[in-house]
Amino acid sequence: MPSGKTRWPAALALLASLLGFAFGASSTLDYIQHLDRQVHDLHCSFIPGVDAAKGADTACRAAMYSPYSALFRDRLWGGIPISLFAVGAFAFFAAFALYVLLAGRSAPRRAAHFLLIAGVTPLLVSVGMLILSVLRLGSICKTCAGIYAASTLLAVAGVAALIVDRREARAAPSATPAPPPPPPSTVTDPAAPGAVGPTIVDDAAPPAPPAPPAPGRPRGSLLLLPAWLLALGAFSITPALLYASALPSYAGYIAGCGKLEKLTEANGALLRIAGPGAVQPATLFVDPLCPTCKSFHQRLAAEGLIEKLDITLVLFPLDSECNWMLDRPVHPGACLVSKAILCSEHRAPAVLDWAYDNQDAILAAAKSGAGTANVQAMIRQRWPGLDACMDSKPTSQRLDRMLRYIIDNKLPVSTPQIYLGDTRLCDEDTDIGMPYAIRRLAPALRSK
Amino acid sequence: MKGAGIIGIVAGCGLLAASGFTVTGQVRAAAQRLKTGVAEAAAKPALVAVANDAEAPYCTPAFKTVLQRVLNACGLTGGDSRRGCQPADVKNLASISDDDFNALFVPLKGRGGVLMFDDGAEKLDDSSKKMIEELWVDRRGARYFFVVARASKTGTADFNRTLSHKRANSVLFHVSDKFKDPDLDKKVGLLWLGNEFAQLGKDYCEWNVSRKDRQCTPEAINRSAFVSWVDCQL
Repeated sequence: MPSGKTRWPAALALLASLLGFAFGASSTLDYIQHLDRQVHDLHCSFIPGVDAAKGADTACRAAMYSPYSALFRDRLWGGIPISLFAVGAFAFFAAFALYVLLAGRSAPRRAAHFLLIAGVTPLLVSVGMLILSVLRLGSICKTCAGIYAASTLLAVAGVAALIVDRREARAAPSATPAPPPPPPSTVTDPAAPGAVGPTIVDDAAPPAPPAPPAPGRPRGSLLLLPAWLLALGAFSITPALLYASALPSYAGYIAGCGKLEKLTEANGALLRIAGPGAVQPATLFVDPLCPTCKSFHQRLAAEGLIEKLDITLVLFPLDSECNWMLDRPVHPGACLVSKAILCSEHRAPAVLDWAYDNQDAILAAAKSGAGTANVQAMIRQRWPGLDACMDSKPTSQRLDRMLRYIIDNKLPVSTPQIYLGDTRLCDEDTDIGMPYAIRRLAPALRSK
Repeated sequence: MKGAGIIGIVAGCGLLAASGFTVTGQVRAAAQRLKTGVAEAAAKPALVAVANDAEAPYCTPAFKTVLQRVLNACGLTGGDSRRGCQPADVKNLASISDDDFNALFVPLKGRGGVLMFDDGAEKLDDSSKKMIEELWVDRRGARYFFVVARASKTGTADFNRTLSHKRANSVLFHVSDKFKDPDLDKKVGLLWLGNEFAQLGKDYCEWNVSRKDRQCTPEAINRSAFVSWVDCQL
């Protein structure tokens, strides 16, 4: 019976796999909840399945809404979450580790080799996802971190399994039958090469041979590796196939959120932002200090859609300083920032990006001491020379015209809103379903 | 251990089957919620207001009553082709005294302006045109642009009624010529008051008048047209 010293890598692999399975399942179930196009709470915790505190799921939500959370997002609403592949893979590793743990020395040495080779792959994927999380999303979600940790443990178990296997191989004779030792000689031929000394006749009984070492593990057929890899692949994709086959049709929901009655504004008050690659007309209603607008903007950029959109930008500051539709400022300072954008002409996209990047600081400044004067100072510092324009009547009137354009179209007082052509992208389709919905509403983007 | 392979296979298949059943079950549940809208009902999303015109504090029920009556009778709503209301109409519409009628517009002191005319004339001078243009572009969230023209008590009632009408039209024509707004008819409400209704007191000389450099008398302030955007929803 093998000792615990040789079994612990398999036990560790089992533990890591079950942990990865649990985190993967938790993440997947959260994702699936959102297939009803509503927003749900996330189980964003270091303990799989435990609800996150209110407001503490930002990183998990950012990860879930990012283009890295799922595959085939433009072909299936929401795509196929990559955590689903993790669920299948970790299920396989758990079963495999259990087998190695129980089999002990009867498990072929190939099992240790496989555990190393295949067990490192989740870590490699995790490293890639970690880099994306840090560099692109700027945060690491707790559930993802759980999967990263499980992957690391699995890789450690794989390395340990190989080390233990090597030690065992050195300590024990190969399981392959060795040629039998030569029978004890009774006569040594003095003519034989290397024979020295007088002829000795050994009539005594041979000394007792040392106790045979424990037999080594069987190496196992080389075909085991591709067979196990095949099984790993089957485990990984089976849940994804089942998921894809169960998805409902979203075609009837995509285009039912309203139309833009008036596509143009008579006085030319709206801003146009279009790069050389713009192929799809879109009208975007945003508040530069609205966090949802910022997230939406980031998602559009991450999906590579911004540069493909011929954007008519309508500023819709949710700030009662200039917006009569509100009785109090939802985002104080938004009127000033909107005016700064209007006054920036060709730099308008840069000013909007600046506002998104510094949104928290601007809002905090607007709510502190000097109020919106702080915001004006921030604008003055970063974008000097706009003061006169921002304070002018024509700028106020242009912003008024944007707001009147919103009234003329009878739009909800809500940001962001995007219309592709004249059709509104539903709010429900602005997160995990966005790539799918946008490509359905904007045929021009489908082939690009 | 004998049978370790079998146990491993059974465990793996068990985990896979559990995953598969759970995933398909959850996806179908989400599909059902999508179809029935159960999730939306449970979430009870906050009602989102639709973008609308401004509603200033001076939009009292009394103010709105007069406004609504004027709009209905003066052609801005209801598809009536009439434009503007005559003094007799206003008396019937407002059903209030002169002072109360004028008081309704007091909150518009800072929003509108009083265009002064020469005696017996309806021609806009440059300062009046400038004031009209400045006020027109300063629409903000207002829905209606009101022109309340008046005539002083000098002359006959008929003459003054006609003169008041002409003054109101002068404002309308200037806005039309200057801004060429295709929706002008849906925005501008005209009232022309003769000398028999709602004469202004001298205190209105302190309002934003077009001829700041000239003497303002009770007679002069009634040779005028009060113009203002009205920030009320109806």
